Amino acid sequence: MNILVCFTIGPDVEKLSGEDWLVENGLGIDTSFLKPVLNNYDESALEIALTLSEDSRAAQVPILLTAITISGKEATPILRTLNALPFDRIVRIDNQTDLCFKPLAAAASLNQYVRKHAQQDVLLLGQQSSVSQNAKTHLLAAEMLGWPCITRVVQIEAVDSKHLMVTSQVDDGQVQLQIKTPCVLSIGDAPNTYLRVPTLKDRMHLGRRSMTVLPLDSFDLPKETEVLTNLEVIQHRRSSILLGGRNPEETAQKLFDEHLKGSLLSKTELGRR
Amino acid sequence: MTLSRQEIVSKLIDLVGRDQVVTDETILQESSVDRFRRFEAFHGIFQLPVPAAVIQVRSTAEVAKVLEFANVNKVNVVPRTGHSATEGGLETLLTNSIVMDGSGMHEIIKIDTCNMQATVQCGVSLQTLDDRLREMGYTTGHSPQSKPIAQLGGLVATRSIGQLSTLYGGIEDMVVGLEAVFPDGGVTRIKNVPRRAAGPDIRHVVIGNEGSLCFITEVTVKIFKYFPENNRFLGYTLDHMKTGFEILREVMVQGYRPSVARLYDCEDGAYHFSHFADGKCVLIFVAEGVKPLADATADAIEDIVAGYDECEKVASKLIENWFVNLNWDPIKLAEEKTEILETKNICNTTEISANWSIIHDIYEVCIKRVREEIPDLTLLGGHSSHSYLNGTNLYFVYFYNVVNCGPEEELTKYHLPIKKIIVEETIKAGGSMCHHHGVGKHRTPWIEAEYDSSYYILKQLKRAFDPNNIMNMGTIFPLEEI
Repeated sequence: MNILVCFTIGPDVEKLSGEDWLVENGLGIDTSFLKPVLNNYDESALEIALTLSEDSRAAQVPILLTAITISGKEATPILRTLNALPFDRIVRIDNQTDLCFKPLAAAASLNQYVRKHAQQDVLLLGQQSSVSQNAKTHLLAAEMLGWPCITRVVQIEAVDSKHLMVTSQVDDGQVQLQIKTPCVLSIGDAPNTYLRVPTLKDRMHLGRRSMTVLPLDSFDLPKETEVLTNLEVIQHRRSSILLGGRNPEETAQKLFDEHLKGSLLSKTELGRR
Repeated sequence: MTLSRQEIVSKLIDLVGRDQVVTDETILQESSVDRFRRFEAFHGIFQLPVPAAVIQVRSTAEVAKVLEFANVNKVNVVPRTGHSATEGGLETLLTNSIVMDGSGMHEIIKIDTCNMQATVQCGVSLQTLDDRLREMGYTTGHSPQSKPIAQLGGLVATRSIGQLSTLYGGIEDMVVGLEAVFPDGGVTRIKNVPRRAAGPDIRHVVIGNEGSLCFITEVTVKIFKYFPENNRFLGYTLDHMKTGFEILREVMVQGYRPSVARLYDCEDGAYHFSHFADGKCVLIFVAEGVKPLADATADAIEDIVAGYDECEKVASKLIENWFVNLNWDPIKLAEEKTEILETKNICNTTEISANWSIIHDIYEVCIKRVREEIPDLTLLGGHSSHSYLNGTNLYFVYFYNVVNCGPEEELTKYHLPIKKIIVEETIKAGGSMCHHHGVGKHRTPWIEAEYDSSYYILKQLKRAFDPNNIMNMGTIFPLEEI
């Protein structure tokens, strides 16, 4: 079974201080000084793929794992880590432009990679990226490939070489579904899916294996139907009161006396009635 | 006669009241360890004797009463404040110990901007104090990574140091005076004066005692004017640690005092700075203070580094942003726990110091031996983060996957053998085995080798101030020796 795990690497915006959230030219924020990190949902997808690959050995379902990203050279340290874990193949579609808010381009690239470069049975990817949060790439890719798509997936098990048992979240719980490949699986809030860490030895022996780099302009990208026209920083403000006690006990007492006592007492009164 | 657990708890309740004596089993278990055994603790494994109680003291008088009781009845007392120790100093090695928690003594007593000093109780968190000072245009100048959770009593007890030490010094340079309670219940106050030559500096009996001699109840530290708007951040990549050490030395020997002077090897650099280090070492400086001084310092450092061809300057914003996000906080600690439990991958550290002439040799031999002798490493690197006229420190950082063993074997399989290599190689070369985390309970096997003939002085301190051996047994001084 060939599984293509698609992941994005983006700036670690959690490390931006308040004053750094400045929109430049209405269309972007300077993140050039931030360390690139794996998107959380994609990290889960990568770990789930590795676990699936390990577990499927027992079920005698051979799995070939390919990790693919559309990014620039800044992805290299993360790609080396994935190489060392190991993923069987690493592919980088070389891109120096910003693909935020361009899910159509990302989906088209994946579709064409599957059709022209390496036939796959499963497309596995996180449900959305941390920066642009389109949450559309998996749906668009499924449509282009003509494959079914299951969203909010949290666990995958191999049944045989053509079937997977997929657990996904629904509003009131989880459902388990046996699905025939090919399919697109979009990973949601999956617990226990921090990406494992390769040893130094694996980094040295496996991490520097060759990777495939494909130029983005070798893909036929459609014109985006939605164009980013403006970005604004949303100011989240809450009114607040400084309690100002000299120590936590005094502060808690002030909180009770000045802000809670009245409402608590009135509720108690209401309760008595 | 040894008191039973129930007798100890009953007496403590008599002394300070029931609401300050904690006997909840979960809290007792968590209080039997510190961050040194966090891998076991995260897995719910607690191998050490749980204490009889955690007592939350609220005044110097209460500390005195409890210590006096423990001293008479020879009950081991483990002092703590923020519970952020990393070297096992807070572990309760003896059955029915008392953990004396000073975090409830958290009053900022006085901020004296005329004499440039602040007096606080032991349980004031450094973050709280520094935030208060910064609102007023001042700072403690102390910024360890544990700043959001560590408290002043513990910081002084462990001879803490912060990231800005090259300018402001370690905690020992900041403490003006203090109050401490010794095992007999005697309260000692060391007055706040700029300097004196009236015999040995007795502050240093207390600073760094790690709770093995006394309980620190109050601290007065220096404060400094705060000029963040003048900060200059400098960063460089370079090929060799040896070059980096040479540059650090030149900066220090020329007499410049950047607040930050840090050198990362390529492994540690890749962990922190993969977005620009590209497999190279990284050198970082921050100059601060009044503008002419900050600018002169930064300009001079730039001139010095310009003399080394292999150094390439990086954008200062990269360094500034990294610093903003360096410290721990409760959220990061919670995330760390989840990540460790899921990946079985854990980071530990050992920090040493040595003179310029030997520091690079120590770095090389330790990295080589650890790499060759320890299995399952996922990262092994080091950085220098505190420099002096005559030398610098090295902070070895190592991550490993805990595999093919239970959580209770993690220390003996990985952390302790690595620490042993680093400590032994450092002492052999003539350096110090502890730069700023303290001895705790796991470097005691080498304490005599660390001190050599001067161990006599250290040992006499224990005999003189804790003759009944009740203070944090097994910390600094090996348990078997006493």
